Amino acid sequence: MSESSRTGQKDLLGRELSEEEREVLDLYQRLRKLAARSDLAPCISMNAKQAMVMLWNACTDLGLIHEEAEVD
Amino acid sequence: MVEQHWPAYWNPKQETLPKEELHALQGIKLQGHVQRAWQQSPFHRRLYESAGLTPDKIKGLDDLRRLPFMTRENWMACQAEQPMFGDMLTRDVDDAIRYHLTSGTSGRQPLRVLDSRKDWAWIAEMWCYGFWGFGIRPSDRVFFAFSYGSFIGFWGAHYCCEKIGCMVLPSGNMTTEGRVKQLVEMAATVVCATPTYALRMGQVAAELGIDLAKDGKVRRLIVSGEPAVPATRKLLEEMWGAKVGDTAGMTEIGTIMIFECEQQPGGTHIIEDHFIEEVIDPETLEPVPMGGRGERIVTSFGRGFIPLIRYRTRDLVQRIPHDSCSCGRTGDIYQGGILGRVDDMKCIRGTNVYPRAVETIIREYADIEEFQILLTREAGIRDEITVQVELKPDSAESWQKLEKNLGKDLAEAHEGLRFNLSKAAEGELPRFELKAKRMQDRRGD
Ligand SMILES: [Zn+2]
Repeated sequence: MSESSRTGQKDLLGRELSEEEREVLDLYQRLRKLAARSDLAPCISMNAKQAMVMLWNACTDLGLIHEEAEVD
Repeated sequence: MVEQHWPAYWNPKQETLPKEELHALQGIKLQGHVQRAWQQSPFHRRLYESAGLTPDKIKGLDDLRRLPFMTRENWMACQAEQPMFGDMLTRDVDDAIRYHLTSGTSGRQPLRVLDSRKDWAWIAEMWCYGFWGFGIRPSDRVFFAFSYGSFIGFWGAHYCCEKIGCMVLPSGNMTTEGRVKQLVEMAATVVCATPTYALRMGQVAAELGIDLAKDGKVRRLIVSGEPAVPATRKLLEEMWGAKVGDTAGMTEIGTIMIFECEQQPGGTHIIEDHFIEEVIDPETLEPVPMGGRGERIVTSFGRGFIPLIRYRTRDLVQRIPHDSCSCGRTGDIYQGGILGRVDDMKCIRGTNVYPRAVETIIREYADIEEFQILLTREAGIRDEITVQVELKPDSAESWQKLEKNLGKDLAEAHEGLRFNLSKAAEGELPRFELKAKRMQDRRGD
């Protein structure tokens, strides 16, 4: 995701994301994509899933997302 | 290791969110949660259909009361109809990474729950709100006096402490003596246990000649699993030389929904960005105004596998506003934590008796080691309440005085109701590690 498209993102209450919120959301979204792939070695896939759920926690706590993506 | 300066809150953004925004957030989450339950859980769809409700009717928090209640009974019924998990699950059983069940202390069919990776991570996360809020930091050494079995108990707290970066000291199958010795030897700074078991450890320590307050390094006791009455807390704080922090959760949620902050306001904050808590009159089902006692109803946004929406907990609580605590959190408070079970209330000769209220009075007496409350029916009509009391080994002399004073205190707190008192022999009464069962109702026998 480019820097320009990331600015202007809003949280669940419609507030502009802070720099670190953009960062954590971006990481979560990238890990989610990785975790959903079925062509990876177990050591990549399973660790990506674990890392993804940790960042999902942070994003949910911050009210950036509310979802159950079902790729865990 | 250099100690970093940390904020007092695990989640500063949401824990101090102004009330209106918190309600808006809850409304948004509720909408999504109900939608998902409708689409993926046949149990919930059935429940809503029977109430003539579709998810599009839920547009925000104001619509919460349109949703039907979930009860333990309808949960159990769906499990019985379609073993093992009923038709409540939103996902395939193979997606689960954990299986837990209720301890089934009352002899009922256990309640079975599953968690996905996310659910399990969220369970630990809720404990993080509580542990961090009570001052637990990466440099702490946390001892778990917990059996690590199928009962969910402190499981989430264990992973919370790993996440925070504490040194975790698990003690699954150890004896009480072994636990006491290890937590002193390892200089544990935090101990997690039920209030009853924390007392038990203190007694065993004393028998071993260990003064926990002097010989130990414990600065925080985190209790859960049963109500922590004020006198027990006071006793524990003296015994351990540590602050006692109350938390409460349930298997149905998988984690805690309330915790006591470092200010120790005499109650527990609700984690309102992850839960909606209501208090209702269990008879009329109408909301109880702020400050009144009633049954807590929970909606939890965390466990994806099993949506929990307007679940009747049967827990007795008294909700008071968040600003009665000075910590700055905007989550309201349950004064005294969970006060007991709505069903525990007993009616003796027209007077309501809560076991917890009785315990609070009994614990004022430092000479009492253990007790049991016995309800009987004499001559088929007259209900009697008897408190069996076991005194500490070195205080047997004080029985007559204690009998008189305790009887008076109990009667005064119960509209003059007469309590019979009897003295039990040393070691006669049962001790408890998990859920204490100190009231026996034998009136139906
Ligand atoms: Zn507080």
